[in-house]
Amino acid sequence: MPSLSNWKTRQALTAYALLIPAIAYFAVYFFYPIAVELWASFFRGQPLIGEASFAGLSNYMTAFQDPRVQKALATTLIFAIGATTLTLLPALGLAAILAGPIKGSTWIRAVIFFPYIISFVIVALMWKSLLDPYSGILNNVLMALGLPTQSWLSTPSTALPTMIGVVVWKDVGYAMLIYIAAIQGIPSSLYEAAGLDGATPRQMFRTITIPLLTPTTLFLAVTIMINHLQDVSAPFLLTNGGPADATRLYSLHVYETAFVELNIGYASALSFLMFLIILVITFLQFRVFRRQVAY
Amino acid sequence: MAKSKVRASLMLAAGALAMMVGSANAETLTVYWNAGHAYDTYAQVIKQFEADHPGWTVNWERFQWPDLRTKLVADFSVKNPPDLVEEPGGWVQEFGQQGLLTPLNDDIAKDGAAMGYPDDWQEYTVKRNMVGDDYYGVQLHLTCATLVYNTDMLKAAGFDAPPKNWQEFREAAIATAKGGKFGFAPNPVVSYYWPWIYQNGGDYYDPATNKVTFDSPEAIEAIQFVSDLIHKDKAAPVPVAGADYEGPQKLFTAGRAAMIITGPWDVGPIKTGNPNLKWDIAPSLTEKAQGTQAGGTSLFIPKDAKHPAEAWDLLKRLVSLDTEIAASIPNGMTMPRKSWASDAKIQADPVLGKFGQCLSYAHDITAEIRLTGKSAPIEQILQAAIDDIMYNDKPAKDVLTAAAEQANKLLADK
Repeated sequence: MPSLSNWKTRQALTAYALLIPAIAYFAVYFFYPIAVELWASFFRGQPLIGEASFAGLSNYMTAFQDPRVQKALATTLIFAIGATTLTLLPALGLAAILAGPIKGSTWIRAVIFFPYIISFVIVALMWKSLLDPYSGILNNVLMALGLPTQSWLSTPSTALPTMIGVVVWKDVGYAMLIYIAAIQGIPSSLYEAAGLDGATPRQMFRTITIPLLTPTTLFLAVTIMINHLQDVSAPFLLTNGGPADATRLYSLHVYETAFVELNIGYASALSFLMFLIILVITFLQFRVFRRQVAY
Repeated sequence: MAKSKVRASLMLAAGALAMMVGSANAETLTVYWNAGHAYDTYAQVIKQFEADHPGWTVNWERFQWPDLRTKLVADFSVKNPPDLVEEPGGWVQEFGQQGLLTPLNDDIAKDGAAMGYPDDWQEYTVKRNMVGDDYYGVQLHLTCATLVYNTDMLKAAGFDAPPKNWQEFREAAIATAKGGKFGFAPNPVVSYYWPWIYQNGGDYYDPATNKVTFDSPEAIEAIQFVSDLIHKDKAAPVPVAGADYEGPQKLFTAGRAAMIITGPWDVGPIKTGNPNLKWDIAPSLTEKAQGTQAGGTSLFIPKDAKHPAEAWDLLKRLVSLDTEIAASIPNGMTMPRKSWASDAKIQADPVLGKFGQCLSYAHDITAEIRLTGKSAPIEQILQAAIDDIMYNDKPAKDVLTAAAEQANKLLADK
């Protein structure tokens, strides 16, 4: 009969053997490219494809003083915080309504969720057409109502809010569906007890539903925020970062630095700075929400 | 039963072996191409190439320019580039300086006389594909942007002929801008502003001082002139933000803009978008000089291409005079060969002939700055400056002076 320690060793070896494909996959396709990018960030010029010279930390120092990087970062924070907040609030409201026994709620949920499954390329083409300042439906409606028309994506003051509106329209259905699942998981006995104590529906929503949804809100806030901090498709497809850099998000700036300017070392450093920024923001989100999480 | 099983197994094995042998002999030539230039003529050339090279397949991958560049740079980083690439202008020198392209000197020494290269090409199209004494690319298309106007809108405003200079242009733009229509529709992309700078006697870069010159009084006046059409004269809309060149063409095709500056690439969309539109092409405006920007695409073979000899063979076929003529007429595209420009069929074509005329006074404005290796970031700086002037109505003098300072600092950096 094998000893317990031998059995444990064999079990551990089997587990590692089974994990080898996954470890190899992540090593080759995730950790190796990340390590190469980190290496490239210490070079000036075109590491990986052409001439490059060791630059130490100078790419990182340059990034801290680069006004376009600072502006792109500020724009990205406004975009990410705005888009996350404006996705979660209506999603929660819609979920609170549609989680109940409402006639046709399945269809309404499907309609609201539908934009989430469309490719952003299609979404961008559709919204660019709708928002076209000269032939778009939206301006035609405004004109018919006698209201002034807008160059939604071509005016620096309206371009970023418009872009936030487009991504919120796409994502709100996803957040709503997650919220509905979470609401339906709250024990009905809590609402029954509150009802017996004379609580109104509004009080129940504020004191039972919202606190018990904080883990869901944390999950959604973290994942949606990370997506938006990294978003390149929205500015690339809707405005190309314009007008006058009003929608130039950080990831688009990194992309153009790498692939248009061929400043690959600097772009690698910018990528790593973004990685650190996302890490800090996510940590802060966990800190803030953890205090309020009710299980 | 057993025999039939054995026979079936043998047939399967033979089939598999044949497939393996077939795949061992089969070769693929990978070509990256712009989606908008995937003309039938080129498809036929590729088909003929495959017929002349049994066992070869051309993998003709088509992209929009930004996607093509992203994929190509990624390919360079893993040393797995395609065999032949079409580029939009500027990449040959940029990548050639990096040592990423195959020099074509030996091929040209061998085949140049027969194919007419470089003598039959407009001189500046040869230079823009060279680094030092080395040839790295061959010009495929040669384009220039000039004035395209709606004849009905101009006539209705009292203009029987297109404007010839800025004053006439401004008057025509103001007179035709009414009832939700615009006199002129500008493009957001920076290269569309270079003709204005050239027409006013300005330039982009001075190689003698290694400094940009887009902050010269001439350049400032030129950019302010376009901005004033938007913000002061209300004769033009702010450009529609985006990476594409289509905004002005769409307004023009819809009959909502009287004049645009464009090239032969917009002929097809205008004709198909509004067949009843009455429009024509005018020579470029003359202020201090008549000028416009030359552009167009070139072909190059990456250094690590797996089949450079076959790529050169296909390149020769794609730039032959017969192919140029066949591709240009149905697609309205202008070409770099001198013999193409002098061909009777081309000269008789109402569209190609008029666009072809501006090739003689067009300039490759970024030719010299490209050799610094800093053209792309400087173009980004100028694009941001133009955006600031056009969208935020900032004075051209302040913005261009600051942008030039930033660009010169970059040029001075080793």
